[in-house]
Amino acid sequence: MSAKNHKQWKIPAFEQGDYVDSRIYSDQNIFDEEQDKIFKQVWIPVCHESELPEAYDFRTTSIAKEPIIVVRGKDNEVRAFLNVCPHRGMRIERRTAGSFSDGQPSGNPKHMTCMFHAWQFDMKGNCVDIPRAKEGYQDRLTKENVGLRRLRCEVRFGGFVWVTLNDKVEQDLEAWADGAFECIRSAIDTEPLEVFHYHKAIIDSNYKLWHDTNSEFYHDYMHYHNRVTGFNDEYFARTNKGFKNGHVNVNSFTVQYGEFELGESREDLSFPGFPPNQWYMIDLFPGMNFNLRGSALRCDIVTPLGPNKVMIEFRGLGLKSDSQKDRKTRIEHHNSIWGPFGRNLHEDLLGITGQGASMQTGSEPRRILHGRHENNLIHDEIGMRHFYDEWSKWMGRNPSDPMDEQRKVLAAE
Amino acid sequence: MSWKHVCNIDQIPENTLKQFEIDGISIVIANYGDGFRAFPPYCPHMEEPLAGTGLIEDGVLTCSKHLWQWNMGSCEKLGMAEKELLIYELKCDDDKILVNMEKELIYQYDEADDDDDDFFD
Repeated sequence: MSAKNHKQWKIPAFEQGDYVDSRIYSDQNIFDEEQDKIFKQVWIPVCHESELPEAYDFRTTSIAKEPIIVVRGKDNEVRAFLNVCPHRGMRIERRTAGSFSDGQPSGNPKHMTCMFHAWQFDMKGNCVDIPRAKEGYQDRLTKENVGLRRLRCEVRFGGFVWVTLNDKVEQDLEAWADGAFECIRSAIDTEPLEVFHYHKAIIDSNYKLWHDTNSEFYHDYMHYHNRVTGFNDEYFARTNKGFKNGHVNVNSFTVQYGEFELGESREDLSFPGFPPNQWYMIDLFPGMNFNLRGSALRCDIVTPLGPNKVMIEFRGLGLKSDSQKDRKTRIEHHNSIWGPFGRNLHEDLLGITGQGASMQTGSEPRRILHGRHENNLIHDEIGMRHFYDEWSKWMGRNPSDPMDEQRKVLAAE
Repeated sequence: MSWKHVCNIDQIPENTLKQFEIDGISIVIANYGDGFRAFPPYCPHMEEPLAGTGLIEDGVLTCSKHLWQWNMGSCEKLGMAEKELLIYELKCDDDKILVNMEKELIYQYDEADDDDDDFFD
């Protein structure tokens, strides 16, 4: 067949849903809408509780560009607030993580302090001090009138900290996940987990392209390591399962680590009740991934920064009770696959970087195929289609026809 | 009475404060020119460590964080201060500074204890 231009590039037997329009990955308006209609509405994991182990520890992050701070109170409760001072809108804490236990040049111990005018807040978000309040505000404003903007927050599913900007969120987190975590629940909820690895990647690509990659296994053709340790009957029998709210998981098989040069079985360092060398994967709408493979749990959290820019935070977790020796081995297992120089993860990043190069704002629109149907088996692209069915509900747009162009043409005919 | 030898006079130059740990109790000794004072290491306002950021001048102790002040001679509060300093008994024996540390003096800081966890319900 000869090369084709985009207008000729039509596949008669493909229905809408078997492809998406590339502008969902590149259009600024669609990106802005996603921030408001999706990211500000749903539950987002922001960090793990082991990152703030002691009272007065904190971690800062953001959802849909809103600065967020997560703190552990004296009562051991984890709470989330907008990291914004109610006085003049200054971001309160600039550090990524740390402790309020000790004082700082601009703040007192055990308090969050806005360095701008020294308004101070306790770990419950109450304002506890406004310098010279009486002199400036007389009786018109007291510290009781103001406080930090509290956000809904839950610690769940292996100790991850989840936040939503939506005060009126309809489903609690358990209902929102709709059972997608049940396949690894006992493995991650029997005893406390601990983050042992963190790195992040900022990629010129759309966040959904990362989630697409995590939602299909057909790209194992890119991963030499995955081909030699998988690609057997058990691998091809794996299935994708959809859950409500756009979530998907992929059931397990036994990874043949011995098939790889210097490969090492993970059976001695499995998770509680988790059979040796298994590999489950959970993809959560709108773009988070939990990946329990052998001896390590990986979690990807995406923060969309623009239509063609995404920050992906990668965490590796083991058991908090790990001995020093076991932890070292677990880290080696994790890093050999998923570290920045591992055998797998950077290849996935190459994939979406290449896609991002062809889907910049203003790039020529084209169809991106999601059309492999194979009885929900491992190389079926049902995971992506399930995601975009959900995306369509929140966005009120058809991902195959996001600008409503095809519908208008059909209506005119 | 439990008098402890905390330090010697020449360890605290005029108009300075220094923190010591004696039997697990933290204490600050201040030399305000006309004498010495001993008090807990934190400002009674918001736990500011006074040995680090407290200032002494003309017999007045100032917490530089929110400018609470106390007269070191009379121990009265001045200016913006809303709470009294807790003061340990202190005496000098030749060049030794002795403090009566029978009981640790501890400030009660306000902590909001309202349980607001039904905030969204």
